[in-house]
Amino acid sequence: MASIIRPSLLAQLRAAPLSRRVFSTRSLPTIGSCSNPSRRPAIRSHGEPASLAARSSILPHSVGFHATPARPILPPLPQRIQGTTNEAQPIVEHSATEGGYHWAFERIIAVTLVPLTVAPFAAGSMHPVIDAALCATIIIHSHIGFDAMITDYLPKKRVPKTRKLFEWGLRAGTLVVAVGLYEFETNDVGLTEAISRIWHA
Amino acid sequence: MLANRAVQTSMRRLAARQPGLMALGSQGKFAPPAIVALSQRRPVATERLSDSQAQNSILVNQRLKRPVAPHLSIYQPQITWYLSSAHRITGAILSGGFYIFGAAYLVAPLVGWHLESASLAAAVAAWPFAVKFAAKVFVSLPFTFHAYNGVRHLIWDTGSMMTNQKVIQSGWTVLGLTVASSLYLALM
Amino acid sequence: MIWTRGVASAAAEQSFVPASKTSTVKEPTDEPAAKMKKFHIYRWNPDAPTEKPRMQTYSIDLNKTGPMVLDALIRIKNEIDPTLTFRRSCREGICGSCAMNIDGINTLACLCRIPTKTTQEMRIYPLPHTYVVKDLVPDLTLFYKQYKSIQPYLQRDTPAPDGREYRQSKAERRKLDGLYECILCACCSTSCPSYWWNTELYLGPAILLQSYRWLADSRDERKQQRKDALNNSMSVFRCHTILNCSRTCPKGLNPALAIAEIKKSLAFA
Repeated sequence: MASIIRPSLLAQLRAAPLSRRVFSTRSLPTIGSCSNPSRRPAIRSHGEPASLAARSSILPHSVGFHATPARPILPPLPQRIQGTTNEAQPIVEHSATEGGYHWAFERIIAVTLVPLTVAPFAAGSMHPVIDAALCATIIIHSHIGFDAMITDYLPKKRVPKTRKLFEWGLRAGTLVVAVGLYEFETNDVGLTEAISRIWHA
Repeated sequence: MLANRAVQTSMRRLAARQPGLMALGSQGKFAPPAIVALSQRRPVATERLSDSQAQNSILVNQRLKRPVAPHLSIYQPQITWYLSSAHRITGAILSGGFYIFGAAYLVAPLVGWHLESASLAAAVAAWPFAVKFAAKVFVSLPFTFHAYNGVRHLIWDTGSMMTNQKVIQSGWTVLGLTVASSLYLALM
Repeated sequence: MIWTRGVASAAAEQSFVPASKTSTVKEPTDEPAAKMKKFHIYRWNPDAPTEKPRMQTYSIDLNKTGPMVLDALIRIKNEIDPTLTFRRSCREGICGSCAMNIDGINTLACLCRIPTKTTQEMRIYPLPHTYVVKDLVPDLTLFYKQYKSIQPYLQRDTPAPDGREYRQSKAERRKLDGLYECILCACCSTSCPSYWWNTELYLGPAILLQSYRWLADSRDERKQQRKDALNNSMSVFRCHTILNCSRTCPKGLNPALAIAEIKKSLAFA
């Protein structure tokens, strides 16, 4: 990548017939660079167009690997194995509140959402209490859903600070939204009624 | 090794059947190796690799250079993981929209926005039909999909409908229902 | 004879043999009717670690190759390119060595038929999101370490009532059907996006199926300890019922169902 920015190399590449291939992102094999981004510039800058062309004529049946797009967010790290091969992988600390009970709570909330979602379609208008219950359940469901995404995509070990930031950001966000929805429920016509009015507007 | 084993077992059988013969053999010429072999001792020593040794080995340095095999981009598009990622994306769209609206409603009086349902409805009413329809589809499609697929997930969580065939069938059913009902809702 | 290149030109020369001379052409071979099929295979050499992984194309005659993908790989290695590296052992789907990603699906090369359509080109990769040792050989060290962490053996404190063996009723034994057949080929685990993103902490479908195999065993007496070891946010509950695992299992097992049972037993215990 760095070589593309460097003007002298740019001129060289423009002179060579292969230049278009070099510029095309599709021809850039990216899988290696996933695991070790620091190596990419070195290869690019050493690989002059002439030698590239020569190599590709020797090996017509092998093409650069370009089927995997680079994962720009958190590419996998170089492989490290904790302990020796014969030792068991350490067990994650026991926590039923983050494990089984959390899962059960998640399901209960999701199951509760089913009748609450069907009700406005079936009944038309809803009692304010049920409407408020729907809002609360949606907020909890959304919070759990976002939290699952944070746990999935922001590993605690690798990006501890970012993870903390997102976790607290989510908590703050949920709180703000909860207050906002409370205001909406108390001052306005209620969520289902509002959606219905906007929908039929 | 195998021959040794065979001799050993046959000697054992012989000893069990005819103790007299065995006693005779022990004085004689062919017993000693078999008797010795009866005490099972393996001439193999195992050595435990210490952690610091393991961390400095050639293997560890090799591991650092290994590429990761391609995954998302080469895995066959299957209804299983396509619908699963769609479930997450639609959930994020719906919840994200909900969060944005909730937060915006709270700060609206401070900033001077009008997010009351009446003014929103009035604003939407002013849109041309095509825009209204597109906006409704943009909301109803994720909503219906996430709802139907959520029910599908809840059924799976009970441990039923989990065979490959049923997963595929229910997946396409959900897709069909989603398209039909979201279009119906958008035209309402 | 195998051509790696110039197949088309060779075939063209053959077709130019005049009809009158066909009798003098040596023993008819099936070469004009050769069913050449292309195989694109992932290559990476640890001896040249700075070189990026690439796809190499081999084209072989299906008429001279066995029916399975493993036959094709072995033939490529024997006759075209001895540097091609892959694991194989039993060639009948019981050892799990030749697990790889064939045309986008994780499966055992020895159980996967080569589609006879020659226009369709095959693509073979190592198991997805694994660290590659060489070519099609993935490093499964972590996978085995995780297997070890679930203590995959019978644990009991009380001796057998008859002093001889731990007996099971037929119904109890039947619970292990669909669990004990797992050969730990890692096809399911490496097909799971959740396992891709959280390889170190999430155990993955194969290990969880094995874990359930011991949870479902009537003879095992450490069920509570086993469950406690799984009861956290990462080990089991990174499973989001994507179901790629059951879809891909070359032995036709259902790891997703085993995980669902584990989840239920953890949630409502």
